[in-house]
Amino acid sequence: MILIGENIHIISRSVSEAVRNRDAAPIQALASAQAVAGADYLDLNLGPARREPEEVASWLVRTVQEVADLPISLDTMNPLAMEAGLKLCRKRALLNSASGKSESRESMMPLAVKYNTQVVISVITDRGCPPDVDSRVESIMETVAYANDMGIANEDIWVDPIVLPVSADQKQVSEALEFIRILPDLLPGVKSVVGLSNVSNGTPANLRGVLNRTYMVMLERNGLYSAIADVLDGELVELNSGGLKDARVLIHRVMDGEPVDAEALPEKEKNYVKTARILMGDALYSHAWLET
Amino acid sequence: MEYKAPLETYSGRVRAVTIGRGKKALRVGGSNILPLHYFEGAVPNRPVIALEVDDNGAAGWAGSAVEPFRDVVHDPVKWAGRCMELGADLVCLHLEGTDPHGANRTAAEAAGLAKKMVQELDSPLIVYGCGDDKKDVEVLAAVAEICRGENLLIGPAVKENYEAVLRAIVDNGHCIIAQTPIDINLEKELNVKLLKQLPPDRIVIDPLSSALGYGMEYSFTIMERTRQVGVVYGDTAMQMPVIADLGRECWKTNQAKLDREQGMLWESITAMSLLLAGADILVLRHPENCRLLKEAIEGKL
Repeated sequence: MILIGENIHIISRSVSEAVRNRDAAPIQALASAQAVAGADYLDLNLGPARREPEEVASWLVRTVQEVADLPISLDTMNPLAMEAGLKLCRKRALLNSASGKSESRESMMPLAVKYNTQVVISVITDRGCPPDVDSRVESIMETVAYANDMGIANEDIWVDPIVLPVSADQKQVSEALEFIRILPDLLPGVKSVVGLSNVSNGTPANLRGVLNRTYMVMLERNGLYSAIADVLDGELVELNSGGLKDARVLIHRVMDGEPVDAEALPEKEKNYVKTARILMGDALYSHAWLET
Repeated sequence: MEYKAPLETYSGRVRAVTIGRGKKALRVGGSNILPLHYFEGAVPNRPVIALEVDDNGAAGWAGSAVEPFRDVVHDPVKWAGRCMELGADLVCLHLEGTDPHGANRTAAEAAGLAKKMVQELDSPLIVYGCGDDKKDVEVLAAVAEICRGENLLIGPAVKENYEAVLRAIVDNGHCIIAQTPIDINLEKELNVKLLKQLPPDRIVIDPLSSALGYGMEYSFTIMERTRQVGVVYGDTAMQMPVIADLGRECWKTNQAKLDREQGMLWESITAMSLLLAGADILVLRHPENCRLLKEAIEGKL
């Protein structure tokens, strides 16, 4: 699976400070670390980029490209910042993201055409985030058809089902999983991508990793093409490159509804099994899910 | 051919909890049905009604709720006796007077009152602290200690103080009220923590009750889901009886304070709704509503 490094994110205080002061060193350190860790793309998340959108975007893209020879996933809701950044991307970029919202159709999708990028298209529409598989299908079919009409081919579209935190809305976690499973039948040729760490948003920090990793294995099994993820999590990268076979097999068995005696397993495997059960919706989530 | 209505059966059951000891003991929970679906399975104990007594002379109570107790509100033990005469299954003592922002009575005073009530009352007892999580640790520990072995139902234990409250409960042989702020995930988390030191038949869940018009539907949803997760899906961390401490919430509304009939309706409708949602213990203030809800529980309404 393609891994897109998430760590250059404006929500991080060190990143936002570095961007504000145009201090290249911390940004370049993050870029290099993620490249070494095995990222296939680097996500540069500027958020809404209200102040000096164009200057910030071009500075960030230049700064990162000075040290990392990876394609960039440019992540901002601001079309001015998006365009300024895309202009400078040396490798074919990933526009992150467009959606079915009218403003996105009007201002983001044309940029994907103009700069010949690949493009993330989420299931969000003017009505918000669809609550179940069927409504996700309905909205993505409509939005992708619109993108096709603009000249964007399915092969360049990375569909994002929108991952929500398990601590906030547990049901959405399995809905997104199911959506990824049926996506190739709905829209042959499209790729898929998730913001993986969002599944563990709101969960105590020391417990986030196991949720992210377990969900990644589950999504990958259902055909996920790529994830924006914490590539500095060594175990996550190891799992993605085929390591930790026992844990993977156990997670798959939970997905298949097979009985697994979690208590008989070593600590690490036991935690993966319990986490998979939570993400499948087999047991109610609580912050203490590993303690039951 | 004779028609036979299909019956649902479930893998889980609500754990039975005993409150009090000896002849006074009362059992709640224990059924493997959805709320009031008596036809679905075993119902060893139907829901019960507690009437509320406070240690603060009914300060701030709506006049209509005080009416049946006007002559005894300054003697909580007599007040409790009156509750039983008027049909309550048990008494719920709220130690409002210990509130540091109010009368700030000491833990020893509160414990003395609880002890006296246990001795003189012919019913099991629920004891709630004032809700200040620090003061409650002191007060509830003192109550637990002085009433050692009486198997009271004591709370609230909340995220902020459950370790200390739990210790007092475990050491002195009582049951605990696990209270969380209308959130199913936090409710389960607290249960999981408590279950490490206490068996499920000594825990009662308080998901917080809101009054009609003040968020009752949130309480309803959480109680309903608690039952579904515990009984239908068999989640063993969610199978304890539920207490709906609703009387106080209803009688503090402007609507209830304004007018007797409105107050009676506010409490009875909220109680009826939370009964349907799955409450096993309803805490009310007015004895007329106690009678009404008992009829509902017996299926006579």
